[in-house]
Amino acid sequence: MKRIAASIVALSLLTACGSSPESTDLEENRAGAMESYTIGAQFKATAPITFDMLYSDHPNYAIKNDWLFWQELTKRTNITITPSVVPASDYNQKRSLVVSAGDAPFIIPKVYPPQETPFVASGAVLPVSDYLDLMPHFKDKIEKWKLGAQIDTLRQEDGKFYVLPGLHEEVWQDYSLAVRTDVLQELGLAAPRTWDELHTTLKAMKAKYPDSYPFSDRFAIPDPGGNLLNMIALAYGTTGGWGYHNETWDGQNFVLTGAMPQYKAMLTFLHTLVAEGLLDPESFTQTDDQAKAKLAAGKTLVISTNAQNLVNDYRPLLKDGATIAKIPFLAGPAGEVKGYTRLESGIMISAKARESKNFVALMQFVDWLFYSDAGQEFAKWGVEGVTYSKDATGTRILNPDVDFVGLNPSGTKHLQKDFGFSGGNFAYGGTTELLNSTFSTEEQAFQQGMSTKTSIPVPPPAPLTDEEREQATLWETPLKDYVTQQSLRFILGQRDLAEWDAYVAELNAKNGPAYIELVNKARTRFADKNK
Amino acid sequence: MVSRRIFHVVNGVILTAVVVVTLYPFLNIVARSFSTEEEILAGRVNIVPRGFDLTTYRLVMSDDLFWTNYRNTVVYTVTATIISIVLTTCYAYVLSKKHLRGRGLLIGIAVFTMFFSGGLIPNYVLVSGLGLRNTIWAVVLPNAINVFNLLVMKAFFESLPAELEEQAAVDGLGTYGTLLRIVLPLSKAVVATMVLFYAVAYWNSWFTAFLYLDRAELFPVTVYLRNLIAGATDATSTGSADTDVAQVAANIKAVTMVLTVVPILTVYPFVQRYFVSGVMLGAVKG
Repeated sequence: MKRIAASIVALSLLTACGSSPESTDLEENRAGAMESYTIGAQFKATAPITFDMLYSDHPNYAIKNDWLFWQELTKRTNITITPSVVPASDYNQKRSLVVSAGDAPFIIPKVYPPQETPFVASGAVLPVSDYLDLMPHFKDKIEKWKLGAQIDTLRQEDGKFYVLPGLHEEVWQDYSLAVRTDVLQELGLAAPRTWDELHTTLKAMKAKYPDSYPFSDRFAIPDPGGNLLNMIALAYGTTGGWGYHNETWDGQNFVLTGAMPQYKAMLTFLHTLVAEGLLDPESFTQTDDQAKAKLAAGKTLVISTNAQNLVNDYRPLLKDGATIAKIPFLAGPAGEVKGYTRLESGIMISAKARESKNFVALMQFVDWLFYSDAGQEFAKWGVEGVTYSKDATGTRILNPDVDFVGLNPSGTKHLQKDFGFSGGNFAYGGTTELLNSTFSTEEQAFQQGMSTKTSIPVPPPAPLTDEEREQATLWETPLKDYVTQQSLRFILGQRDLAEWDAYVAELNAKNGPAYIELVNKARTRFADKNK
Repeated sequence: MVSRRIFHVVNGVILTAVVVVTLYPFLNIVARSFSTEEEILAGRVNIVPRGFDLTTYRLVMSDDLFWTNYRNTVVYTVTATIISIVLTTCYAYVLSKKHLRGRGLLIGIAVFTMFFSGGLIPNYVLVSGLGLRNTIWAVVLPNAINVFNLLVMKAFFESLPAELEEQAAVDGLGTYGTLLRIVLPLSKAVVATMVLFYAVAYWNSWFTAFLYLDRAELFPVTVYLRNLIAGATDATSTGSADTDVAQVAANIKAVTMVLTVVPILTVYPFVQRYFVSGVMLGAVKG
């Protein structure tokens, strides 16, 4: 009896040994992989291979099977991708379903961290950090662009990360405010550079057009003030809007965002704008179309924007010599700062890919397509001579018949719709040079302005254990909802800012401090473990 | 008499309000579909098109994928409705026979599914395991019997006089003969209702297709439409560093909606005939 028990233990130990240091033994998984695949190498599988991939189908450039992208990809890499097409509208739901059902394709793109976290415990997704040796370009860019600390924020409690993010050389801030420049000129004002200057500008606009709100914002759904609060919170040294987290890193510790003095200062400022009739109270509830309609009718003069909105949404709407432009990202009490993140959404690899005989080839392929300079240029610009050409200085120019983001309005074919390049599933991240390559001159000037600002520090990783996460989930959503709800009441004047202390007490009653303690505990634990 | 007049007035007012509330959004969409985008965004379009414009119709109708998906919707709807009607009728007819042994159990099995379901993931695993994914069967077979419709039909069959069927049996008709020659011809009203219920439900449904189909050329037009309207909303909610957000023009949305809704709307007048005859059938017998 004893002997049997002993042999069972021994057996389980053996199997445990066999399965744990997975990264070392890849002999069974090298079919089709390149012998020597190094930085700068063009990946090409030694035999034709097919990989399946989840594909988020964008309504503006619906997938076509005859795209040049697919043909050229196969020609260059010997890899054929079989896409599982999912409408972008419900991509996340289908992704959860197929991953949970154990039926996920090998490549799962467009994962916005921390969306990968729920899949970690089930073991359905691959701890990609174990296999970085197969990905020289990825490793190279992390090192070259000093992204180590940023990557650490992706690490789970086991010290591994499960998503391969898009990597940027510099912080890329696309969103800012758009202002009617003809009105600025009429009033003899320069574009504001700080939030206080914006206040002055809005007052001058209000004096000239007393019947309307000069500033009416969009991006209210699903996060009220998504962009506005995100930007201004950064300028005040806290988080808000799209970037809201219950915890904010203050340099030494995580603190409760909604109770920060900086957060109060930000709300006070926004309340002033509303109270003085400068900011439309509907900014936090209206749809984008409503906000655009007000801008089109000339009722409002300032609105949130990104580079695309400006060209596609606003300019075509304005008439009678009205002009609009993106203004520099506004500074605030926290100084000339910008966000820290240089990571974008990324790719998960299905755990069952590890069993495939083509696993090594898969990782090499992903590394080449998503992280090598050649792969990124291919995904974004296409094929030299067909979709674009290079001039003597190496600047890429779209071929005359190809249009993209309004760079070639007379082009009859579209880089995304007709060729499949620059699509959200394949093209992201990259060098600043590559990023800027499709920008208009005015957008390049905006980015130039951004490059002079300093990034706020990267918060340290604080991954929770499964149990802690369960507890945290119970606290997080009510906290966030309450902060959002009360923030709007403070801004709109439905609640007096004199009641701030009472509000902080309410946050405490909603387990705010307990949550922060949990996060700080996780942070120190992770730091101790990974010294 | 006065109270009756008051009733008519109040009734008229309420019903008119209902008509306005339901009809206005629809007319608004139709008007938008014929207007230019600038007019729509400027908020000037109500129920009369402004800046009359047909280019959007040409644009949407020139999209091959739209027509492929449209054809899929027609095929799925017709096939699924036929399957559903056949299965529901057979099941309901059986259940309507009080002398059937195990009838309670059969009803129980059906009703059970109204309250409990296997859940999304087990269903997905099942359909996947049966090899139905990326075939028309994944769309038309699950949910082929709607229990509510089944119970309505069962109640209708139960209300038919038993003497009729006894008479048929005396005249030498078997079970199937009775069903096909006596019961069904008397049940045109309920069958028409069921056809309408099922057809509209299948025409509008997108979720099953979304779950089990992985190729754009297999999607029904509802999935196409949903992607267009809902767009990649998630990208905006999660990240600021992503411009890959759908910006589909308002008039394209309107045109697609109109084109998708019109066929199913035109079905109503045809089915209406049977509603009326159904009502009269009851009246004569009563």
